[in-house]
Parts: sequence; structure tokens; C-alpha cells
Amino acid sequence: MKEQPIPERLQISPFLVFYMVMSIQIGIGVLGYQRIIAMDAGYDAWISILFAGGCIHVIIWLIYKICDTAGGDIVSAHKYIAGNFIGKALSAIFIGYFILFSLTVLRTFIEVIQVWMFPEISTFWFSFAFMALCVYIIFGGFRTVVGIAFFGLVLPAYLLLTFGWAIKFSNYYNLLPIWDHSIKELLTASYHMSLTFIGFESIIFFYPFIKEPKKSQKWAHLAVLTTTLIYTVLAIITFAYFSEEQLSKQIWASLTMWKIVEMPFVERFEYIGIANWNLIILPNVCISVWIASRLIKRVFNIRQKVGVFFVVAAVLSIINFLDTREKINMLNDSVGKMGFVFNFIYIPLLFAAVMIAKKLKKGKKK
Amino acid sequence: MKNKRIKEDVEHKEWEKSFIKSKDFKKIFYYNQKTNVRFGLTFMATLIDENIIQDGILPNLLEDEFREIEDIKQLVPVADVQICDDPSLIEQKLMNGYVMLTIETELKHFGFIAAQKEIVRGLSQPEVEFSVIGPKEAFVESMGQNLNLIRKRLPVKELIIEEFTLGSLSKTSVAILYMENITNEDNVDTVRQRLKNVKFDAITDSSYIVQLISDNSNSPFPQLLDTERPDRVAGILAEGKIAIVVDGSPHVLITPTTLVEFFSSFEDYFLNWILSSFFRLIRLFAVAFSILITPIYVATLSYHYELIPKDLMSTLITSRREIPLPPILEALFLELTIELLREAGARLPTKVGQTIGIVGGIVIGTASVEAGLTSNVLLIIVALAALASFTTPVYRMGNTIRLLRFPFLFLAELWGLLGIVFCFCVLLTHLTRLTSLGRPFLEPLYPPRVVDMKDALIRLPFEAQSKRPIFLRTKNPIRFSKKKAKKKKDIDE
Repeated sequence: MKEQPIPERLQISPFLVFYMVMSIQIGIGVLGYQRIIAMDAGYDAWISILFAGGCIHVIIWLIYKICDTAGGDIVSAHKYIAGNFIGKALSAIFIGYFILFSLTVLRTFIEVIQVWMFPEISTFWFSFAFMALCVYIIFGGFRTVVGIAFFGLVLPAYLLLTFGWAIKFSNYYNLLPIWDHSIKELLTASYHMSLTFIGFESIIFFYPFIKEPKKSQKWAHLAVLTTTLIYTVLAIITFAYFSEEQLSKQIWASLTMWKIVEMPFVERFEYIGIANWNLIILPNVCISVWIASRLIKRVFNIRQKVGVFFVVAAVLSIINFLDTREKINMLNDSVGKMGFVFNFIYIPLLFAAVMIAKKLKKGKKK
Repeated sequence: MKNKRIKEDVEHKEWEKSFIKSKDFKKIFYYNQKTNVRFGLTFMATLIDENIIQDGILPNLLEDEFREIEDIKQLVPVADVQICDDPSLIEQKLMNGYVMLTIETELKHFGFIAAQKEIVRGLSQPEVEFSVIGPKEAFVESMGQNLNLIRKRLPVKELIIEEFTLGSLSKTSVAILYMENITNEDNVDTVRQRLKNVKFDAITDSSYIVQLISDNSNSPFPQLLDTERPDRVAGILAEGKIAIVVDGSPHVLITPTTLVEFFSSFEDYFLNWILSSFFRLIRLFAVAFSILITPIYVATLSYHYELIPKDLMSTLITSRREIPLPPILEALFLELTIELLREAGARLPTKVGQTIGIVGGIVIGTASVEAGLTSNVLLIIVALAALASFTTPVYRMGNTIRLLRFPFLFLAELWGLLGIVFCFCVLLTHLTRLTSLGRPFLEPLYPPRVVDMKDALIRLPFEAQSKRPIFLRTKNPIRFSKKKAKKKKDIDE
């Protein structure tokens, strides 16, 4: 079966990759990553963020190399190294990964809503409405998905400024002394950043939809750089605002910092912030649902319109069973771990395999 | 004068059968005075100008030497005279205000002489898109007059006017206008194709065309802009867009459009760019305010009263202390009142409408506050929101905004602020999915195009507008060449 190239009118400009990568990276992790990394590396954890960010640049480079060599997305890469059948079997695993990813994001967001705003909001009905919206977006095609990613990043960008209120009450001596943790502790903290950072791997799935993909690589790198900087600055502000002991009790440190925001007509800014976060979560969920349904189409040759409903049904039927904080936490941890394995172990292996396959194919031609 | 008039009851031909039932169908026979040739005139009395027959056609045909049908080209002092032998054209010609001439010697040939009665309303001032500065001409119901108004403003041969006839019953003529050397050929093709695909029997106004050729007819948002200002049409034609003129409609359609265009008034171009940019931003703010303020009131007072600082809260509590209704009912009551006032005001004659507006607005508003049905804070908010919604320069968009407030209200009641953001997400998705003539409706916001921002949320000076909007993919993207050599003068030089 010959793969059909994506027609140009459905493709996106290279610079939009910047918004895609950033908006899927920033999601629920950013609401509470400070406590998790500070558990390992104390207030040196910002170094770990920078280090993790640096590693991601390497992975991005690998992803572009893989896609360029295989001439397509991950399914093409799998086919390239292992043939049609095994390739598709390998790709099928990722359908599950992205269903879990969207599930984690959505359920954790609902958890935040239930804890901070509406204790009684129905998990099912809210996710139902949310998924219906996702279906509406995905039916608009990839360009609509990218549009939502764009607005999901640009419109809530003003929220960054609101962390400025915390600066007034910060004490930067909290950060000193720098480097009083071992390399091992710093590395563990970097590892624990996984959940907050993952999402950039989506490039390997939507690569064929990029117009002149080579030009988009710099935008992907810029996106990762920007996210890394935002995370680092936010972590530093948080560390300066909370003492280490206080922070260890804040599950969602970023939200707590909003409590200090005060304007003549608004108090308790976290209500506005969480409501706005809906717009940030939306691209996370709909990009991953889009990827899952796209994979279903590529692997099983089912129409994507049908695949979307399959994914949505899967999410909606599982989400009811995640009813306690422990289960949600477990889901978050395991998706973080899976993301880590996928990004930092599987992609380098895939890269090696693709390179070997390329050598072999060249050899055959000669 | 041996002017013999004979009205004959000859056997009726096939095409005449339904004509003969109408009282305005006239078929009269005459004899030429010199050659004694008998000829007949057939016409619809309601469509033609009888003065043309009496003064222009008959005297010449009766008195001059008239032998064969070819002679009418010399005898009749009318520009539009045609001779043909195709009987299938008869109905169309008669219905377009032609007089049919038949002559006993040549029964196979018909002469058609144009004698349309033009009933044209005089030019008037634009009423929907009134502007203080700038031209005061507005389109009227006659296509010829409207085309004249546009042509006068763009006197170049590259302005192409193509005509179509639409509607199986109304036979409405529809013209598309574009600049041959600028407008993207694909866009013109799309418009042509869509117009050809229109299947509807009676097209009585350009609004029918709007709904029939829109990309998504299930959207509350208008995807074609209609305007009554010839200057606006000339302006957009020069940008590389396409105009559609419909006979019988004083509104000309513009396509492709973008969302921001619906919030820009053409007066923006008559003002200095700083002022017009400021007004545009005010208008955008007004729209956002108008849609969101009542839902925010409902959301905060139903769920998030912690949001409001102490001092402001006490004002709100005082005004709401005696109100027996929950905020959503209170808000719906007032919003519906305003909607009723608008509908009533729009349907009534101007003078009565004004009275109703005053009675409704002031009396009902004050009375409902005094009766303790609504709080006076909400009354202020709803009135402001209504006022703000009137700032949209395009009437159609104003209607859409009226409607948009209600889903926001219901979701605000359901999920508070979260519901408002959720509804906003749905709206955003809808707008992202919309296209106008296949071009993204939200451009230049999404897909983001910085170059086109020069005339979107703000309007930069004309010197900065040297390129046509890129989303139109025009054949000639440069409006005028910027002189790079224009050196900036130093102080005191």
C-alpha cells in the first residue's frame, strides 16, 4: 500500500510547530511540579529543569532525523525498520499511550476543579462536554487542532504576568546555597520533570502535516527553549516565595501563588486562573486524541471519524473509575514514567534502528 | 390620417397560451402608411415605458418606409435593437421589458426593441452604515444604478462585471465584480461555481445569496459582508476581493471576508490612523463586554462571590438584598426585556418605535427595580451591554452578538466561570473552523499573519499599507511601491 502524501492545503506553516509543541507541553504538570522536584533536589531543582530541557533538544534533533530518514511519521519509521506487520503492531502501542495521556490531563484538571472550585461537579458530565468539544475540533481537521493549540497558548499567556504578584513577597536567599545537592539527586529531579515536559514527542506523529518540515526544526527547538525558561523562572519564583517546608505541603504550588494576586475589582484570582486553564488543557487533550485517532487510521485503516469516537468512548468509560486522589496520582506517575521511557529510551533506540536500516538498505542497492 | 388599427383575434401560438391570461399582455397590429405592410407589437404593458413606444417607435414605423424587419435598425431610434429567429427567447425578452416586433412578410424573424420602464428610487444617504465624514451616497434597488456608482469610483478597464441570472422564477440578475489584474482567479472561480450551483426559485434580495453561497450555512456568523456604501465596495475591489451585486437589493456583498472586517467601519479609513485604531479597539472591547458581562455577573453572584473585594461586594449585596430571584432569572428577565424592546422597536414605524423605546427602557427598567424584581446594578450592566452591542458597524454581526449572549448565560449558570471559558472555547473552535470562500475566517489572528495585522485590530497609516492582504493571494500583491530613498530629515534641515 502506497502512502498518500498530505495535500498542501491541509498542511501547516513551519512556525506553527512552535505553538503546537509549547501548548501540548504546558498542561497540568506546571500547576504543581515545584513540590515534586524540590523533594529530590531541594532548591537546586531549577538546575534540573535546565538540564532536562537540554536533553529534550537532543531528542528533538533525533526525532527530526528519524522522520527525515523514514520520510513520514512514526508509523512510516516502524515500517522502515521492521516491515509492515511488526511496524503496525509497534505503532498500535502508542494508541494506548495517547489515550492514557489525554485521560491523565483531563482527569487531573477535573481534580483541580473539584478541589479548588466546584467540589460537586460531575466528572463524567464535564468530561463528556469536554470530549464533545474535542470531537468538534478534530472534525475540523488538523488545521483546527493547530488553531486551538495556537489560541490555547496565546490567549492565556497573560496568566504568566500574574505570577509577578508573588515576586513582591519573595526572598531569593531561599535559593542559596547553590549546588548543595548531589548529581544523582539533581538527575532524579530531572527525571521527575517528565510529566511536566512530555508532549513534545507529538512531532513524530504529525510530522507529515508540516509544510517544509526541515524549516520547522528551529521552531521546535525554540518552543522547548521557551518552555524550559518559563518552567525555570516559575520554579525560581516559587522557591523564593515558599520556604522549603511550606512548599512540601503545596500540591499545586502555582495555584497557591495566585491567592496573593489582588486587584481593585478582583480577589481570589485562582478562580479566574483555573477557569482559564480550561483553554490551556484543551489543546493537550485534543492533540492527543487527534494523534490516537490518526494512529488508529494509519494502523487499522479505519476512518479517522470512527477512530475519534473509539478514543472518546475509551476515555469516557475509564474516567469514571478514577475517583480517588491515589488513583489519579498513580495515573500521573505512570504516564510520566511511560513518557520518560518513550522519549528518552525508545526514541534513541528507534533512531539507532533507523540509522542501521538506512545503512543496510544502501548496502543492498549497491 | 388613414391610421387603421386592427385588433385581431388570431389563433394563439403555443408560447402565448399563458400570456393571454394576463391583463398586461398586449398584442397590437398596425399598417405602415407608405408600404402598407402589416406589423405587430407585442409587449407587457407593466414592464415597458409607453412613452418610448409612442414617441420613439410608432411614429417612425408608421410614417417612414418600412418593408422588411432589417429596416427597424435604421428606423427605430433606440440603442438596444435585436433581430433573431429563435422563438424560445420570446418569453425571456418580453419579461425583460422588450417590445417584440413581428412583420407579416417575415414570420420567422422577431425584432426586439428595448423599452424598459426604469423605476429608480433617488439616491439617499446610507442608513445602516451612516458615517459623519465621507461620501453620503448609498446603493439603491436598481442594479444599473449601483454598478454606475461603483464604476464611477474605479474607472479602469480591469474592473470586470460578469452577469448571471439566478432563480427559476425570479430570474434575478446577479453580477460579480472583480479586478482582472489583481483578484485571485481561484476565488473568482469559486464564486462563479457557487452562484451556478444556487438552486432556489425566487431570489428577492442579496441576503438570499448570502445564505445560499456561504461556506457554512449553519453558522450564526455572517460569512459575506453586505454593505450599502459604494465607497466601501470600491475600496475592497482595490484590495483584491470580489463584490456581488444583486438586482433589486440595495446591499452589495463582499467576499472573502474575515471576522475583523465585521468590526471595522469604513469610516475608519476617513480618520487619522491613531484615532481609527483607537476606535477599533474600543469597538472590540465593547463586543467582548457586551457578550460577557451579564454571564460574568451571573457566574460570580451564583458561585464565586469570593472573587469580589469586600467594598464592591457590599454595594452588590445592598442592591440584591430584596431580590427574590436567583441571578440567572434576574438576568434573563432583563435581557429578554431588552430583546423585546429591540424587536418591537425594529418592527414599528420610527416615531412609535422611539416612544416604545423610551417607555420600555425607562419605565420598565425603573419599575422593575422599584418593584424589587431586579437589582439596579444588573440594570446598569444589561443596559451597558445593550449599548455596547450597538457599536458593531455591521448590522448582521450585531444580530449575531445579540444571540451569543444566551449560551454564555446558560453555561455561566451551570458551571460558573468555567462554563464561560468552556463556551468561549466552543465559540473559538467554531470560528477557527469557519471559512469564507475557503479562506480562514479568523485570519490574520489564525493562521497568524503579522503582515495582515496592519489593517485588522488596528489600522496603520496608508504609507504602511503598501501591500494587499496576503490571505487573498492576489495576482499583484503590491499596492504602490514604497520609495525607499525617502530620507528622514534631521532636525532643522
